[in-house]
Amino acid sequence: MLRLARLAAVASAIAFAVPAVAAAVEIETAKGPVTLAGTPEKVAVFDIAAIDTLLALGIVPAGVPDKLYVPYLGEDAAKAPKVGTLFEPNLEAVAGLAPDLIVIGGRSSTQGDALAPIAPVIDMTIGSDVVAEAKARLTAYGKAFGREARAAELTAALDAELTAVARAAEGQGTALVLLTNGTKLSAYGAGSRFGWIHSALGLPQAREGLKTDTHGDAISFEFIAETNPDWIFVIDRGAAIGEAGSAAATLDNPLVKGTRAAKAEQIVYLSPAPIYIAGGGYTSLMGTLAELKAALAK
Amino acid sequence: MMAVVRAHPLALLALCLLGLGAAYLFAGLGPNAGFILPLRATRLGGMLVVGASIAVATVLFQTVAQNRILTPSIMGFDALYVLMQTALVAVIGAVGFTSLPKALKFGLEVGVMITAAVLLFGTLLGRGPRDVARMILTGVILGVLFRSLSGFVARVMDPNAYSVVQSVTFASFTRIDATLLLIGGSAALAAIALAFALSRRLDVMALGRPVAVSLGLGYERLMLLVLALVALLVSVSTALVGPVAFFGLIVVGLAHALVGADRHARLLPAAALIAGIVLVGGQLIFERLIGQQSTLSVVVECVGGLVFLWLLLKGRVR
Amino acid sequence: MRLAALLTLALIPLSALSLMLGAASVDVAAIGHDPQAALIFWVSRLPRTLAVLLTGAALAVAGVILQQIVRNRFVEPGTTGTGEGAALGLLAITLLAPGAPIIVKMLVASAAALATTFLFLRLIRRLPPREVLLVPLVGLILAGVLQAAVTFIGWQTDLLQYIGTWLMSGEFSGVIAGRYELLWIAGAAAALAYVYADRFVLLGLGRDAATNLGLDTERVLHLGLAVVSIVTALVVVTVGMIPFVGLVVPNLVSRLMGDNLRQSLPVVAAGGAALVLACDILGRAVRYPYEVPVGTVLGVLGSALFLWLLYRQPAR
Repeated sequence: MLRLARLAAVASAIAFAVPAVAAAVEIETAKGPVTLAGTPEKVAVFDIAAIDTLLALGIVPAGVPDKLYVPYLGEDAAKAPKVGTLFEPNLEAVAGLAPDLIVIGGRSSTQGDALAPIAPVIDMTIGSDVVAEAKARLTAYGKAFGREARAAELTAALDAELTAVARAAEGQGTALVLLTNGTKLSAYGAGSRFGWIHSALGLPQAREGLKTDTHGDAISFEFIAETNPDWIFVIDRGAAIGEAGSAAATLDNPLVKGTRAAKAEQIVYLSPAPIYIAGGGYTSLMGTLAELKAALAK
Repeated sequence: MMAVVRAHPLALLALCLLGLGAAYLFAGLGPNAGFILPLRATRLGGMLVVGASIAVATVLFQTVAQNRILTPSIMGFDALYVLMQTALVAVIGAVGFTSLPKALKFGLEVGVMITAAVLLFGTLLGRGPRDVARMILTGVILGVLFRSLSGFVARVMDPNAYSVVQSVTFASFTRIDATLLLIGGSAALAAIALAFALSRRLDVMALGRPVAVSLGLGYERLMLLVLALVALLVSVSTALVGPVAFFGLIVVGLAHALVGADRHARLLPAAALIAGIVLVGGQLIFERLIGQQSTLSVVVECVGGLVFLWLLLKGRVR
Repeated sequence: MRLAALLTLALIPLSALSLMLGAASVDVAAIGHDPQAALIFWVSRLPRTLAVLLTGAALAVAGVILQQIVRNRFVEPGTTGTGEGAALGLLAITLLAPGAPIIVKMLVASAAALATTFLFLRLIRRLPPREVLLVPLVGLILAGVLQAAVTFIGWQTDLLQYIGTWLMSGEFSGVIAGRYELLWIAGAAAALAYVYADRFVLLGLGRDAATNLGLDTERVLHLGLAVVSIVTALVVVTVGMIPFVGLVVPNLVSRLMGDNLRQSLPVVAAGGAALVLACDILGRAVRYPYEVPVGTVLGVLGSALFLWLLYRQPAR
């Protein structure tokens, strides 16, 4: 059975390889360097962050999941053929599309083995070092699709934005990053997935000790009162897609109101979907940075 | 019609499954048959093996426990599997988790689950007959413990890592990997064959311990053997497709309604065939008609649970 | 009775400790003249301590009643589908009105949980008589069906972690003044159970025996299930699912004092309160200033306690 699949893959690889004598490129992925035989024409993508960055580079995926969850990805991506869901690719539809590259990441990263017989698969998951990894992915896509110049432009724009936000953040005091789940809170430190808010912007943590953990910590409202941060950045886990959630209601209490952040009106509610659905995608990152800049420059 | 069904239920079930299997394999084969046919064959084989494993494990478990409304999944195996996945993602991260060699991961999962089962079933050694209930309760309690631990880890995990956990703790009958199916499937098939061979003795066992012992059945040894088979089947099927709670309960309930429960030689194949029919038929509908291939397990739990409730309320399951 | 006195005595230092322990470093003794200390005390410490006591007492009492009703020592209130019903309600309100105030979400979830219990009642009334053991199973299956629906919707909308954290992770970290008051209703429901204690004992003898003794079994059964469901629903939406309390405490108390509920209910209530309070204090202290959910602490301690109980006495 496996042998059949492999034969089919080899046969199709040969069929593709005959006209395309394009130079092989080696790109960096989440699972180490991967060599691609040539410039991919048709790419199927199962990761929202990847779709986001590819669109920013001007590459329209040939196959996408049925729901994209984030509104700003535009018409082109929404019009692409649907080849499964975000959770599970429809292998027959993917095979029917006959892509020459498949991109997975995040929640679809467990599907690599199943997709491998159809076309080369690259895992572009963005881990906890969001900014650095987002840039690495951007560069890799640029290299793979022969859009190095555009990728360099975007990287420069991202760097400029980061610098601008970091400048706006200078001398603004300490920050605490919170995730709200209904009535319950978690705090995330500098080593975590949301840690780039501290590391890239230079906003020190309101409380030391959060920083070694890659995961968050369950905290109480007393903890917020005690740490007394100058800034609170809130991500609402309960926000339905594209809707404002009720994180503000959760934080509307005397203990939070007593903090420096509340008194100076420096509690910032970040749009959640770009952060944890398209987290690390170029457009989503720029959007979050714009939100941060607007808040910090106030 | 009903008379025919009553007379040859197994033959009819087998025919039905054959038809569904053929439809699943060949319906709507596009130009990509070279890739799609092996893929469908793997999935079909996987569904048949996993379905039969869960069905047989449930029948065996109910026979040992002398109770028609129990399922091995309430013993905390599912919770243990979910805890393993959650802990792995939390410790080595999402990328590390998906980089694990699949055979190693599969071996680890099956190994841990079988070890847990051996420890759990070992509490029965050299004890009285009433201890089966106690062992089941122990399993249930451990399940709650595992769930509360994985709940804590999931609570502080970042949403992106959590989404990876979510994708593997959600049962999917289409995720079956060909290599793992060869390894796990052959072990499962051997266990199923052994269960079929034990049919007669299982019939005696079902009469209850005192009767079975007076009829000269080596009750203790048979019980431990049967539990070992249950452990193997549950571990392999969970590691292949993920946790499924009530599926076994439902197919065995339907098998009881169709062929009665007195003869394992009929009950075991009937349950295995019904499991195959439900999975293949369901997957046919979801994959081809609705285009939502991953949701079958949810619907099976939902609809199956409702069917089982209905059977309970009608007093068909005792 | 001595036991009740002992437990009450134990509750005093535990409560004092609970009032003194929290992430904020304030001197509780200074609430008279330090506004920050007063704020922390009235908004966070006192509500949290009260919430823990109410939850522990109400869950333990609900556990006893449920066990009397289904005549099975090994069921607990969490096994009737109530929590899953609450989750479905919370999902619905979150999707339909994401900006709704927290209390509205809690009330909708509670209503859904109560509706689930009502459904459960309708189901078990249709069970063949004398099939008492099927009652917990019907609860399990109902819970499974609802859980499947919750999983499906939550999966599609990426709300599973939210639902899991809010409802399935039992913890008091989110409790402040204004967010726990529903628990008073749960406490009142448990207190109501004390009034009817003797009738639940009769019910525990079995339906036929109870009817022969002149008990209106249907009414008592409904009252008991109403208490169990109100307690479970309100606890789940306020602090989340808390395992084992309704299982371990009633079993321990019945070993020590037998099944005279009139005498043992107060002890059960005090025992539940003491157990949950001790676990919550532990959860606050282990990773200070961060929290470990009380449900996790109880998961570990409760399962150890329960297995010890199970293996010390012959299984019944």
